[in-house]
Amino acid sequence: MNYIDVLRESEDMVTPGMSACQGCGGELVLRTVLKVAGKNSIIGIPPGCMAGAGVVGWNYSNGLHIPVHIPLLDNTASFLTGLSQMYQRKGRPDVNIIALAGDGATADCGFQSLSAAAERNEKMLYVCYDNEGYMNTGYQRSSTTTKGSRTSTTPIGSVINGKQQQQKYLPLIISMHSVEYCATASPSHMADFVAKIQKGLEASKKGFAYLHVFSPCPTGWAYAPEKAISIARRAVQSNLFPLWEMDNQGYHLNFENKTPISMEEFVKGIGKFKSLTEDDIASIQNVVDQRYRLIQRICD
Amino acid sequence: MGKIKVLTGNYTATEAAALCRPDLVAAYPITPQSSVVEGLAGKVHNGELDANLVQVESEHSAMSVVQGAAAGGGRVFTATSAQGLALMYEPYFRMSTLRMPMVMALATREMTSPETVWSGQQDAISVRDAGWIQVFCDNNQEIMDMVIQGYKLAEHPDVLIPVNVCYDGFYSSHLTEGVDVPDQKEVDEFLPAPSFAHCVLDPKKPFALDPLTPGPLLMKYRKSHLDAMEKALDIIEEIDKEFGDKFGRYYGGAISEYRTEDAEVVLITIAGMTGTGMDAVDIAREKGIKAGLIKLRFIRPFPAKRIAQVLEGKKAFAVVDRSVCFGWSQGPMHMEVKAAIADVNEKYAHFSAIGGLGGADISLQNMLDTIEQLEAQKEEHGEKTTKWFMNE
Repeated sequence: MNYIDVLRESEDMVTPGMSACQGCGGELVLRTVLKVAGKNSIIGIPPGCMAGAGVVGWNYSNGLHIPVHIPLLDNTASFLTGLSQMYQRKGRPDVNIIALAGDGATADCGFQSLSAAAERNEKMLYVCYDNEGYMNTGYQRSSTTTKGSRTSTTPIGSVINGKQQQQKYLPLIISMHSVEYCATASPSHMADFVAKIQKGLEASKKGFAYLHVFSPCPTGWAYAPEKAISIARRAVQSNLFPLWEMDNQGYHLNFENKTPISMEEFVKGIGKFKSLTEDDIASIQNVVDQRYRLIQRICD
Repeated sequence: MGKIKVLTGNYTATEAAALCRPDLVAAYPITPQSSVVEGLAGKVHNGELDANLVQVESEHSAMSVVQGAAAGGGRVFTATSAQGLALMYEPYFRMSTLRMPMVMALATREMTSPETVWSGQQDAISVRDAGWIQVFCDNNQEIMDMVIQGYKLAEHPDVLIPVNVCYDGFYSSHLTEGVDVPDQKEVDEFLPAPSFAHCVLDPKKPFALDPLTPGPLLMKYRKSHLDAMEKALDIIEEIDKEFGDKFGRYYGGAISEYRTEDAEVVLITIAGMTGTGMDAVDIAREKGIKAGLIKLRFIRPFPAKRIAQVLEGKKAFAVVDRSVCFGWSQGPMHMEVKAAIADVNEKYAHFSAIGGLGGADISLQNMLDTIEQLEAQKEEHGEKTTKWFMNE
């Protein structure tokens, strides 16, 4: 079925009243994942934007149409391990066990339990919506924040100019855990994203499936909400966020980028990058180019 | 009828946990608990135990995995010690406050620093306000029986609180004793499959487990947790009787007593030091001292009323702690026993004794000295200086 039909014919699992910001990437990721997954699912959403937006039932008047739990910031993958194993044990392996976590809960303090669950190949689909920081609490830096970003813990100061370190590239690290399926996705490439959710859910019946999704954040990154999708598209077009997947056949590049746009062009109009120096841009460009060459080499 | 097996404290916990038919076991090895996990892994790998075994990367994940399995309605088990308990504190607190029943064995160990791996109770004592039920055992048979009783208590619909079965690291965890291992059939009769549903996630009945809770509602939850703790004091006694009637072993419920009936001076002990204390009581009795002993078994909930009742009419008591209460220059159980007698119309001579930290010995002479000091000071009401068992 065409992805547009899939989304049109699926029930929205989010109840009215969720309070994400306008143009939120995370909300789109959540709704899309759950439309594809459907009712026979249980989801763990740790503290972060989606929890803060109320979908874990925070304000007692909205939430999801499926069972939801807010695990600790650092134990989503281990909590869901126990739940998943109980559903296998009860003879109900058809139930989708899903995590939807931000980059902080995934790449920072949740990394240890995530890595262990991936190594054990636990049966679940873990989706990270990566908005490059702790946006729900006012944009503190995370390990996936792009170098030079202005965050509330890496401010633009007279001595130190934004985040000083390059981002951790998590999806490749997870793919090295011998997992069942691992992919990157972007809300700007919906056909690709929906197909990867479908593959991820199928793979989660056999083992660990991981989706790392680019999730632009108008509030934290300081740009107009209506530009969210175009920024996501430019992230892919610039090779900052290459689209690839890994399955039991190997690594595959999903978007061949023959004429990438430059980092200089990508950062235009995004407030958090407004104080980048030429050196900063060159250094980000260098990391982006190296990463893309690596991805190209490992993909068939 | 059970079978007598020669077991260490840790393997006793393994055998007991297996008899309770856990759905899932997740644990991470740590000295002195490791052989509990190894024993369970062996049973699963040899096909003797039908449980899901999750080899986690930390104690934080051990408690998180069993929490997830309890959210799937499962009966779960784990075990740890000291630094492991400290690392799992975050999901540990949440386990009790989500009111998820389970049993965790705790081979108690001193907390670092100074760097140590030896015995002590500072680990368990430091988390006594984390909402769990805590019971301390002083021999391997008691470990066996309290793991089994622990599930009965934790899963009781009026309780729904996880239970720590604590025993001294090395002194009990590595000590070999003869243990009466009950028949599976008898344990099955005593302990039916779990049926709790309040925290179970299921697409057939969608709900949000643990949303952000407003203060006034949170206070209701806390009060209900405290009420259940209070109620557990009665249920502990009921289960002790039911277990005793079936298996022939009674423990006295939340506390047990030794030669207290006509005693004037009372030694109060916890866990493995109790045997030494009882020997000291016997020797003191031969010397004409009217000595007795109370063994603290459950410290959460704290059996304040029963302790006050036993102490009624006595003249003096000392509480021996294998941990400290920072900021009070005494042991934590002494603090709590004092609280238990705060409102009774009695005057006592009493003091705290601290010993056995970091694996140090608590000798028979230490216990005898304590009793003799109580005898000498029994008419001098009030609290005396804390006694430290400084053995070279």
